Amino acid sequence: MAQGPSLQVGAQAIPVATESNAIPHGRSYGETRLVQPMVMIRAATGSERLVLQGAADFEGLTIKHAELTPGAWGEGFADRRHPHTYVHELMLLAPDLLRDLHLPAHLSLGLGKGFVPFGTDDPMSRPVERFPVNHHLSQILERAVALAGVQAGPAELEASLFNGDEPQHPDQWPNVSRVGDSWSLRFTLRPVRGFEWEVSRAFVRSPETRDAQGLDASKWSSAVRWDGPVLGKPVYAMLEWSQSTAPGAYTLRSVLFEAQASAGAHQPYFRLERTDRPEEERTLDPFVVLRPIVDNSILGVTRWTIGTLGYAVQAGRIWKVSWRPFVEGSLISVTQVGGGIFNPKVFYGKEQHWSLTGGVRLAWGMGAHRMGRYEQMPDASMAMPMARP
Amino acid sequence: MRRAGAMLLLVAAACHSNDLIGPPVVPGKVILAATVPVVPNYGIHDTYIRDGIAMVCVWNSGLLIYDVGNGIKGGTPYKPVLVGSVVPSADGIGAGPEIHNAWWFWNPTNGQKKYLFLGQEGPGKIGSQSSGDIHVIDVSDLTKPTEVGFFHLAGAGTHNFWMDEAHQILYAAYYDAGVVSIDVSGTLSGDISSRLIDQVAPGTDTDTTYTWGVQLYHGSLYAIDMLSGLTQLSTDSTGALARVAGSDNVETRFSSDLSIDTLAGYVYTGTWDHQQRTGLAGSAVYVWSLSASGAPTRVNSITTTQVGAVSDVKVSPDGKLLMFTTENGPNSGFYFYSLADPAAPSFLAYYQTGSEGIHTGKWAEIGGHLYAFGAKNPTNPALIILDVTGLDN
Repeated sequence: MAQGPSLQVGAQAIPVATESNAIPHGRSYGETRLVQPMVMIRAATGSERLVLQGAADFEGLTIKHAELTPGAWGEGFADRRHPHTYVHELMLLAPDLLRDLHLPAHLSLGLGKGFVPFGTDDPMSRPVERFPVNHHLSQILERAVALAGVQAGPAELEASLFNGDEPQHPDQWPNVSRVGDSWSLRFTLRPVRGFEWEVSRAFVRSPETRDAQGLDASKWSSAVRWDGPVLGKPVYAMLEWSQSTAPGAYTLRSVLFEAQASAGAHQPYFRLERTDRPEEERTLDPFVVLRPIVDNSILGVTRWTIGTLGYAVQAGRIWKVSWRPFVEGSLISVTQVGGGIFNPKVFYGKEQHWSLTGGVRLAWGMGAHRMGRYEQMPDASMAMPMARP
Repeated sequence: MRRAGAMLLLVAAACHSNDLIGPPVVPGKVILAATVPVVPNYGIHDTYIRDGIAMVCVWNSGLLIYDVGNGIKGGTPYKPVLVGSVVPSADGIGAGPEIHNAWWFWNPTNGQKKYLFLGQEGPGKIGSQSSGDIHVIDVSDLTKPTEVGFFHLAGAGTHNFWMDEAHQILYAAYYDAGVVSIDVSGTLSGDISSRLIDQVAPGTDTDTTYTWGVQLYHGSLYAIDMLSGLTQLSTDSTGALARVAGSDNVETRFSSDLSIDTLAGYVYTGTWDHQQRTGLAGSAVYVWSLSASGAPTRVNSITTTQVGAVSDVKVSPDGKLLMFTTENGPNSGFYFYSLADPAAPSFLAYYQTGSEGIHTGKWAEIGGHLYAFGAKNPTNPALIILDVTGLDN
């Protein structure tokens, strides 16, 4: 029976309090912020022939100066996670163009602003609230992207063209004159339900400069992911490796493992990552890097090893808003890799640090989806692990 | 209900944020002659002025040649007129030609003013890794500059130049490769890498060498190195180089540019503190006296707060004034000091240009006036020309 048109709307926000001593100049610092305030919409024509998927992100209002996040970098910040753009995602999707031909393969197309088919899911849709250091190595997002995907049996191949430039502030749109200067490929294999392996390749033209005058990024990613029952309990686990090379300049690598188990309302989770980060010139505000940059040199590379242990509980609903309080703590090591003048011991005062975050995930309406994938049809595996009851 | 109230309180607290402070305004006794905007690719890095011609190095937009008083196109410092331009090849550097600095070679042996050397500042890791070639530009016709050759040093990139024009030797700071001397006599064409004469590391080992600039003075070549400080090198008419004195003498900050008061025999060096070496705030200009043998001894300093670097240091042609430029902070801009006592410069004027600041500054005497040329950093990069004749009396 044909499915009728549908409209789903949802919203989420996370008030958090974070304290950390992974702070420039050897200080300890704490703050409270409202992060990831979003409104999401998913509208579909009958039988989902066309889908409009959108997400508005209001971090430009609530964390204009970014979120305290040890090891975070990119889009003009360091040691703070940048706010995303107001129009976080606005994709027009044709999830299964060949359905009437009843072929064993499915063809999907997508056009708009959103996630590039590369790497793993956006950290926003994963268990740990604090973004990993490898966000800019393992995901490519908020781009004007044209994508196509072919799925046959357990295999799926996606390809895209997009603009290389990253946004510089929350109200900025992609530089449309650069659409097509960057590309990506992602191959995904799902041999059994719940298990997934992906390998991705991307070339990103000058991501750090809007006018395409900077260094390019040649990227690889591979990950295995489990999202299904283990001993009758829902378990999510993911192991990823990624690498980003600025040809002739430097190579950054990352390995990350994370897992979450659910037992009733209780959801303990864990993440361990080791990620290289480029060190750039900062302004007199030690959390802000110099933009626009005046040359293509970096100060060095640091290696961040962070172990995070967290616990969340599904606390129920108030006024149809689901509550999910959580607390997570991290032990952090920062070391220098190779040459350069950036000395983390001088800059941070020490090489071992800690961080503690507490907050509440608030969600209303439609269930959050796996951010970073535009699949043929939503199903149970498309729900993000941190949102599962 | 109580839980909802607590939630709203937490949300309200989470929306709190802090704002940055603004820069102070300090008026100076200088006149803005001209502002020449450049395409922000990233912008302008350095300027070389000679005979009323300004060779402006504009990163991936290449070289822009302006008449600022020569007369070839009727330009003046108050109304520069573009004469010609060229975008050199990238020489395999992915990020483009990245033109940083220039030296217009006036060859006294044959009277030619044919060659201009351009420095390409490729990607690097400050303190250990660099890239970029020296491009040779034929400027016989200033309206049609043409690239004719290049110098490549494997595993390193070039920075600032100085020339012994009489002996046709180009000295180039080469970051992690130290200092090189290059024979630029005769006709220059194609790959001139084989013209390397000599190479020396100012630091005591390769881990302490990242050389920013050089200047020739009384038979010695002075090198300022980000890691090892100020070093006196010996050189001669053949371009042979050897370390003589100094080095490892600026240990609390990273060093930047240098300039020598050739009349009084003092050296002035800047510091680069975008990344603090030991936690010291602000940036400094160090004053060095030279012994009878030319060995440097630090005798004084000037500290500027709320900036990321002293990005350039220059003594005026008549030795009366010291100019240094600063960037990345509310106190960025041009600073002018009197060298009536060269060991203890005294403040004369400050010209603010916005917190992005000035990347490099150069003097030029044109039509009986003294001008300061500055490379204003993005956002809104521009060539800034100040008439500072009033300071020079």
